Amino acid sequence: MSEVNFDMLCRIMSSAVGKIRDNHEELTKLDSAIGDGDHGTTMLRSMESVDTTIAEASGDDVKGLLYDIGWNIMCCDGGSTGPLLGSLFMGMSDGVEVETTLDADAVAAMFRAGLEGMSVQSKANVGDKTMMDALIPAVEALEAASKEGKTIAEMFEAAAIAAKQGAESTKDMQAKFGRARNLGERTLGFQDPGATSISYIFAGFAEAINV
Amino acid sequence: MAMKKFINDPANLTSELLEGYTMAYSNKVKLVSDKLVCRVNEKSKDKVAIVTLGGAGHEPALEGFVGEGMLDVSAVGDIFAAPGPPKVFEALKMMDRPAGVLFVVLNHAGDVMSANMAMKMAEKEGLNVKMILTHEDIAPGIDTPDEDKRGLVGCVPLYKIAGAAAEAGASLDEVYRVAEKFNNNMATLAVALKTATHPSTGESIFDLADDEMEIGMGQHGEAGTGKSKIMTADETAEIMLTQLVKAVGAKSGDKVFAMINGAGATTLMEQFIVFRHVKKSLAEKGIEVARAHVGEVLTVQEMGGFQMFLAKMDDELIKLWDAPCDTAFLTIR
Repeated sequence: MSEVNFDMLCRIMSSAVGKIRDNHEELTKLDSAIGDGDHGTTMLRSMESVDTTIAEASGDDVKGLLYDIGWNIMCCDGGSTGPLLGSLFMGMSDGVEVETTLDADAVAAMFRAGLEGMSVQSKANVGDKTMMDALIPAVEALEAASKEGKTIAEMFEAAAIAAKQGAESTKDMQAKFGRARNLGERTLGFQDPGATSISYIFAGFAEAINV
Repeated sequence: MAMKKFINDPANLTSELLEGYTMAYSNKVKLVSDKLVCRVNEKSKDKVAIVTLGGAGHEPALEGFVGEGMLDVSAVGDIFAAPGPPKVFEALKMMDRPAGVLFVVLNHAGDVMSANMAMKMAEKEGLNVKMILTHEDIAPGIDTPDEDKRGLVGCVPLYKIAGAAAEAGASLDEVYRVAEKFNNNMATLAVALKTATHPSTGESIFDLADDEMEIGMGQHGEAGTGKSKIMTADETAEIMLTQLVKAVGAKSGDKVFAMINGAGATTLMEQFIVFRHVKKSLAEKGIEVARAHVGEVLTVQEMGGFQMFLAKMDDELIKLWDAPCDTAFLTIR
């Protein structure tokens, strides 16, 4: 496969929703250790709105679909999850044309724009034990793979691996943002729920592309 | 273990509690657009409106203080989770008026993100809104930068101060000035004894051994500065008060507002016993408790513990506190 079109975008998004649905209890358990224990339910509620958005979408407006996905996630009233995830997808919307099919470079550029969108909401960097620990390496992996001329399936495979490794690396980190920040050293040894969510989303993307 | 709470489907907690609250106090509050708790007898448009946002599960805060002399609108999120930016913007837009809107935000990551995005939308539409961030938790240390300190129960008396100025017809700049003066002179420290159950998940929100307490615990069970063995009311109050007095810089001859806010499972009996020590200990330091409030203001479900709040007051702030207000959970005549 060399391009992502509107239908493929819908398919990978729905796959990400399924991945969060299958793992939301684990996300809640991770959050119980270093947060207030509702990350799984909040992620599930937020991501399930993606399915609704897709079901109501018509035509092949990639830009509009991503914008609506982001906006509707923010309407779920999920604390910081809403603005963070919402701005990721709205940022991706900023990075694409209206009716378009995306080649490898355009896919990488779309996710870079998503990362920039989320960066407006979060000053966190790699090492701060947040969603960024999975998202930044995932976007970098997409860009590297695209430069190397890999297929889109290979790109998403690399991104999923990078996101998973990034999420696992948060075990050795101390939280610097969000509610977990107040726990300081006590967050050591626990994987960050937000980074884990991002890694599941990328795992969902990769699975759908490979099917 | 099954969750011991009188609830229905956990997915409907917030909507059902807001429905019940606005039904019970239908003479004071009404529910608009599912999540916006608004005054029934609306403030005239030539006066500044006071708007806030926050998660549910902390009743009576925040929406319990919507009414004459305090809040005009409280935008409610989900349990312990801020409302999204679209809902917050809707609240600001609904209150849009030439006199302007004071937008009170508690410093928590989700609240601040939603507030900042809503403010951007408000700017784009040319709304006259000024945002004020409360950050009075001294658990991370008195000298910690404001952005690292949480907003705790202090938002509630701040609604009262700002609301009184707004009712008196003060301009937005003037309402902001008195609110910011109060904001810069207040401090809170919390102590936890017993965990609470997150009503959406049925899970305990933190662990604390039977014989332990933790000073500095936040209002979602975020950890504080350190656990210790349980101490007496007087010992606990003295440790907390010493830090609060230092934080607000109160000295002999000063007047303060003191508040004990029960977290949910700490009895009024205990809260009064703690308050008694606060009053006596401050008197020994020559500090006068000019005004006080004891009771449940901002809770964390059935968490055991309390927040101790102190604010240095001048005549202007005392006058604003004494001005009449009529809300479901605070009435001053």
